[in-house]
Amino acid sequence: MPVHETDICIIGGGITSAMLAQKLSELRSGVHVTVVEAGRSIFDTQNRGRYRERANDYGEHPWHDDYIEDQQAAGIISMTMAVGGLALHWGGACNRFSEEDLRLESMYGLAYDWPIEWQDLERYYCEAERRLNVSGEPSAYAADRRSQPYPQGPIPLSYNLQILKAWAEKSGLKFDGLPMARNLTPFGGRGACCVYDTCGEVCPSGARYSPDFTFRQLMEPKKIVLHDRTLVRRLVLDDRRPTVVAAQGFHQDRPTDPVEYRAKTFVIASGYCWSSHLLLLSSNSRFPNGLANSSGLVGRYMNGHRFISATANIDDQTFPGQNMTHSLISREYFRCPADKPFVRHDTRVWESSAGRDPRLRTPEGKLLLGDELMADWRSRTKGSSVRLRAYVDVHPSADSRLTLDGSKKNRYGDPMPTIEHHFDEATLAREAATKVHVLNVFGTLARASNGRIAGTSEGDYLDHPGGGCRMGSDPATSVCDSFGRTHDHANLFVVGAPTTPTGGCTNGTLTFVALTLRSADEIARGFPARR
Amino acid sequence: MQRRTLLQWVASCAAVLPFQRLRLLAQPRELTPDAIAMLHEISPTVLPASLGAERVRATVDKFVQWTRGYREGVAMTHGYGHPRLQKTGASPVAGYVSQLAALDADARAKGGRWSSLGLETRRTLLDAALTKASVRALPPRPMGQHVVADLMAFYFRSSEANDVCYSAMIQREVCRPIAVTIRRPEPLR
Repeated sequence: MPVHETDICIIGGGITSAMLAQKLSELRSGVHVTVVEAGRSIFDTQNRGRYRERANDYGEHPWHDDYIEDQQAAGIISMTMAVGGLALHWGGACNRFSEEDLRLESMYGLAYDWPIEWQDLERYYCEAERRLNVSGEPSAYAADRRSQPYPQGPIPLSYNLQILKAWAEKSGLKFDGLPMARNLTPFGGRGACCVYDTCGEVCPSGARYSPDFTFRQLMEPKKIVLHDRTLVRRLVLDDRRPTVVAAQGFHQDRPTDPVEYRAKTFVIASGYCWSSHLLLLSSNSRFPNGLANSSGLVGRYMNGHRFISATANIDDQTFPGQNMTHSLISREYFRCPADKPFVRHDTRVWESSAGRDPRLRTPEGKLLLGDELMADWRSRTKGSSVRLRAYVDVHPSADSRLTLDGSKKNRYGDPMPTIEHHFDEATLAREAATKVHVLNVFGTLARASNGRIAGTSEGDYLDHPGGGCRMGSDPATSVCDSFGRTHDHANLFVVGAPTTPTGGCTNGTLTFVALTLRSADEIARGFPARR
Repeated sequence: MQRRTLLQWVASCAAVLPFQRLRLLAQPRELTPDAIAMLHEISPTVLPASLGAERVRATVDKFVQWTRGYREGVAMTHGYGHPRLQKTGASPVAGYVSQLAALDADARAKGGRWSSLGLETRRTLLDAALTKASVRALPPRPMGQHVVADLMAFYFRSSEANDVCYSAMIQREVCRPIAVTIRRPEPLR
């Protein structure tokens, strides 16, 4: 069996892994870091323009073979398993949570406080924004104060978004352009934004941050080692002490020849699903419920946010297609007065062509041809459609779980995970009132320009999922401490999304990265600095 | 070998022969010259004639190129939220060829070439063909249900058509400096 010795073994190759590896290589240049990722490396940046064209023209997936067919879970939001993870095709939204997210229990008597002070996390938000080269502007709300400016100015609002901002602010809410990890000028080996407008699928210029760039930059000067296509199936403990001594798995090309990684420190950076999965799979006679699981909470309190969407029709004229992946955000409802019914959500606004697209038939069923179709389309372009969405703060119950499903196994016989989200009683009790509140906000926005809501919908999954290894100060009620160090195993860390106790009410990636950068400082402290 | 045994052996071999694959191999991989000619004949009806004959013709040429670039069995975007693995289906070319031949036959049954028929007759024929192919709405992009719907989607879902509709240089999904987007789009020249 091949055995690889390293100082720090990072399991998983997504955005938190990239940020962790980058920071550790800076803090401890003499420390040997090995990243092990189950999926393959997709480093052919030069082909991404062509892949995008084929995705647009034929519906082909622009990330070839970015999944492992027998390594899938029920309840996941993406099949992607590759170097770069879901951040290969994220939109680049970089919103911060707010202090309320960390103090839900002490401020509102809800959910669970995070074991981190806001000022502490805020420092790491700044660092995350710097590393991701976030483009943004200071929030219109004073409570969102920042200790450092964004590394880039805001993405210029398109003409459409300027129109929509003026419209939306008539409601009394304040809006800013969404902060995004999108280069306005070349940075970090990546190009500048060319408004391809396919950020959430593939960015040919690399303007929207994706972790493959970071990995390549770390690998070429041999700052880290990356082993891709290698699935870690199990963590192995020392015979006597509760420390992890090895990670064992298989390379895809050698399914009968196990490979082992021995390290001083192990870090699971495998996201909201596969982190808990690995801990549960690694059970042994001393830890029959899985590693790091003396609390019984591994795989529990799986979180995320619900979302409610709407389309509004307004009189102001826009021209759909200018920059459809950029948007406006209001943080008005990030904060909820303690004496009011609890409701927290972000409010987002996009340009849209919903209901104003070309159509084949009239409502009466007449087939439209050629110039008739164009004339019909043109006749419906007066005014604008606006896409609205709110990510709503909901809180998980302990039964919001990832479990192992023995009926679905991969090629090695490992049971695959199933995720089922459930809310706590307080969330369920306020569900109807929350929906009424959000729809009232949308209605108020629409009416500000002689508009009306044309349709609403609710998401049937939780976005930006996290949890499963929640952090806390008490080992009885949490899996790891605020740095992600597991309470049960001093040399085993979990980083990013799995450690979050609650899912917030806005995009989570920046928070996952900020938490990971904080973990990196603690992990580095375990290794002496070079003199 | 007895005659009956030989026949049984031949029959059992025939049962496992890849007739489906052979059938697929026998199908056209590219639009035939007749099919392309018919597509050009139909195109002024289904694409905006106001574009002018040259642009209509160029749009058909691009659509023919699109059919040549189609690849079967390639993983499609697996989605977000409720992901699932899907692959591109069989090339639509064979279906297109037979659909175009059917439209040509329908036109002749009505008394002449497609271009000689009145607009309402052409509309009736297209309506019937699209209904038979279960096309109820304009596809988001060519999806292989019917060649006419796909040609229309190919144009009307394009950035170029969006600009024509709004009479403005929006250039949706066209690589361009971000500074261009901050101004009201220039009128279409």
